[in-house]
Amino acid sequence: MLQFILKRFLLAIPTLVAVLTVVFVLVRVVPGDPTIVILGDQASASARADLRAKLGLDQPIVVQYLSFMGQIATGDIGRSLTTNRPVLEDVAHVLPYTIELTLAAVAIGVGVGVPLGVVAARRRDGFADWIARIVSLAGVSFPAFVSGILLLIAFAVQLRWFPVISTPRTGGILDRLGALVLPALNLGLLMVAYVTRVTRSGMLKALGEDYVRTARAKGMPARIVVWRHALRNVLVPVVTVVGLYLGVLIGNAVLTEIVFNRPGLGKLIVTALTQRDYSLLQGLMVVSAFAIVVANVLTDIAYGLVDPRVLAQ
Amino acid sequence: MRRFLFAAAALLAAGPALAQTPKAPDGKTLTIGMAAADVSQLDPFRATSTQDKPVVSWIFNGLVRFKPGSTSLETLEPDLAESWTRSEDGRTWTFALRKGVKFHGGYGEMTADDVVFSLKRAADPKTSSFSTDYAAFDAIEAVDPSTVRITLKHPVPSLLGLVANYHGGNVLSRKAVEALGNDFRLKPIGTGPFAFAEYKPNESVRLVANPDYFRGTPKLGGILYRLIPADAARDLAFTSGELDIVYGRQDQRWAERFGREADVTVDIVRPAELALLHLNISHKPLDDVRVRRAIAHAISQAQIVQFKGASVTEPAVSIIPKGYLGTDDKAPLPAYDLARAKALLAEAGHPNGITITAIQTSLPTMLTAMQIVQGQLKKAGIELKLDVVDHQTFHAQIRKDLSDAVYYAAARFPVADTYLTQFFDSASTVGTPTAVTNFSHCNAADAEIRKARTEPDPEKQKALWKDAQVKIIEQVCAVPLSEGLQVWAHRKTVDYGYDFKGAIHLGPVITEATDKK
Repeated sequence: MLQFILKRFLLAIPTLVAVLTVVFVLVRVVPGDPTIVILGDQASASARADLRAKLGLDQPIVVQYLSFMGQIATGDIGRSLTTNRPVLEDVAHVLPYTIELTLAAVAIGVGVGVPLGVVAARRRDGFADWIARIVSLAGVSFPAFVSGILLLIAFAVQLRWFPVISTPRTGGILDRLGALVLPALNLGLLMVAYVTRVTRSGMLKALGEDYVRTARAKGMPARIVVWRHALRNVLVPVVTVVGLYLGVLIGNAVLTEIVFNRPGLGKLIVTALTQRDYSLLQGLMVVSAFAIVVANVLTDIAYGLVDPRVLAQ
Repeated sequence: MRRFLFAAAALLAAGPALAQTPKAPDGKTLTIGMAAADVSQLDPFRATSTQDKPVVSWIFNGLVRFKPGSTSLETLEPDLAESWTRSEDGRTWTFALRKGVKFHGGYGEMTADDVVFSLKRAADPKTSSFSTDYAAFDAIEAVDPSTVRITLKHPVPSLLGLVANYHGGNVLSRKAVEALGNDFRLKPIGTGPFAFAEYKPNESVRLVANPDYFRGTPKLGGILYRLIPADAARDLAFTSGELDIVYGRQDQRWAERFGREADVTVDIVRPAELALLHLNISHKPLDDVRVRRAIAHAISQAQIVQFKGASVTEPAVSIIPKGYLGTDDKAPLPAYDLARAKALLAEAGHPNGITITAIQTSLPTMLTAMQIVQGQLKKAGIELKLDVVDHQTFHAQIRKDLSDAVYYAAARFPVADTYLTQFFDSASTVGTPTAVTNFSHCNAADAEIRKARTEPDPEKQKALWKDAQVKIIEQVCAVPLSEGLQVWAHRKTVDYGYDFKGAIHLGPVITEATDKK
């Protein structure tokens, strides 16, 4: 197992280099000037030129690229151009929020999506199936900012169960959980939709398989046949969906983080981009790319847990 | 799997520890919601953005201050200086400092040395974005620990404005700046009613009351300044009572909607941001003054004001915002006259009209304003193509001289000189090393602008500024579009402690007298 994980991480190095190169080139192709954010709009052109020189932005792009890669190789992901804080400090600030939100969204996605998909498959075209179809259609159709605002109006403004600003004011666990519920629901909704669909179609297929028929013929209770035998096989594609979802989560989380005013990697990336904070953006990309690699490794481990044959291969 | 779940639970439990905030101070916390993703700078000499300036105003003092709620230079009152004298020739100013004023964070007593250090730092382009404002300063000396003398190269009638609690006039702690170095920009140390406590990137800035404040201990315990970029989220947070004060939108419907709520007061305040359409005279066909005049006659200010809403927008009076020292509020602006516009175009050899291109920001308030102008110009046969880009790209590209016309809305230090110098002095032309924001390449009134800067007689100085305005309008370097006012709202539980009519720092001044029921 350890060897398997190590190998996966080593294989990720070329991926990281490629991602960083693309990011480096892209942020420099986009027009913009970080000195406007740093110096404001009343500073003279010469003051801007001085600052660009100080930040090394006047160097040839190849020199900038090599020095950036060299820096990353030593484990230093730099300082923000606009705030001069170490990028790692900013990442450390938002990462717990992102991890919390991701885990909660996955928990909701799997916790609701799998049972809903199973029940829908067992009662095909029945009431539960209709509910499942509506939920999955709603989940994929509602843009995150629309569902987010609807959730806010209902549960934060009208009922006042949760805060509008999902940034906990204190460090207390209840306060923190309260601030997490609505964003997690919003982000989890999309995942519920996908997981329900995959589980439902997988279950429909599995329920027609020989081994299920055999189990039934042996007189095994239906509950055990469905939840132990059939579901186990359905879980492999579910894990795939969850794994892929982790990868695109940062993109999806941006809108959720903005609507709920919650710190997180996605929101920080958008801020870095709008301020043309090259070093912060690059640093965040390193962290995000690494996070996606970790998510993939976790997915692979999950495959092994669900289906021991994977590890044996 | 069980181990994985355990790790997840541990992470969730560890979260609060990582995000632990210091204990809230005694007293009520005022919560303010601002339309921005983050603050950029809290160093007063670099803070120019709308979200940064209000925070600076709660932390720092100047030698004099703008009366809370006012943006007028006429109402300046003593702040860190108790009194001052001016020499006969107007070139030497001596300030007697208040004694016993303490800097936040144990940085000791404020002395003349800190004032000298601060003003010199404000005048240095390496450390200040406002250095050009201090070009007339010849010497700044500490006569004794509580007396500061400023010698000027020539008299500056609005000198008190330069040592007020705004931009380079703020007094910093020398020790703190030297000790904190680069960190000072996000860990500011001042003498004001509130002291910086904590900054959370993309989230909030927290200030706590300064119990040693020289005007008395603030009634509030602190301020939580929350950064909420999404309009809907900010409005909902204000509606649900999570915010006491909110940054509004320069939008009539917004003001009306919140104005109807029983426990809310909407504050529409000065300074206004004057929106100008700068016409690049170095680009064809705008190099012909007749074409520029045609554009001016094709634009109706009244329609723009009507569209944007009369309570949040006012017609512009000149190419300098209304109410600045030196603004000629009876400046001869070209009247809306479509026939005249068409005739001028024909006379200039464009009977079939012209096409010009403007690089335009995607920020909604600025984009809609430009779309109105686009519609108006079309009626005169002038095709205005909008090259819409994100805000940062817009800023970078207009400074590269790529745009035929530039829509720019700004408020500046309320003296004619600042606006004239930055937007209309040829030394500020974009593309040059001394460039600031002269997008039109205007050079119509260089002589008047420069002479006014050193003119000792205030009346003659005003006359020069007036002449400069006439010449710039005559040459149509820019077309005044409208003035947009600042919109804020507060719950009636908040008592500012003064009449909130204006905010030089673009946000309400929170003083020791501000309270929350």
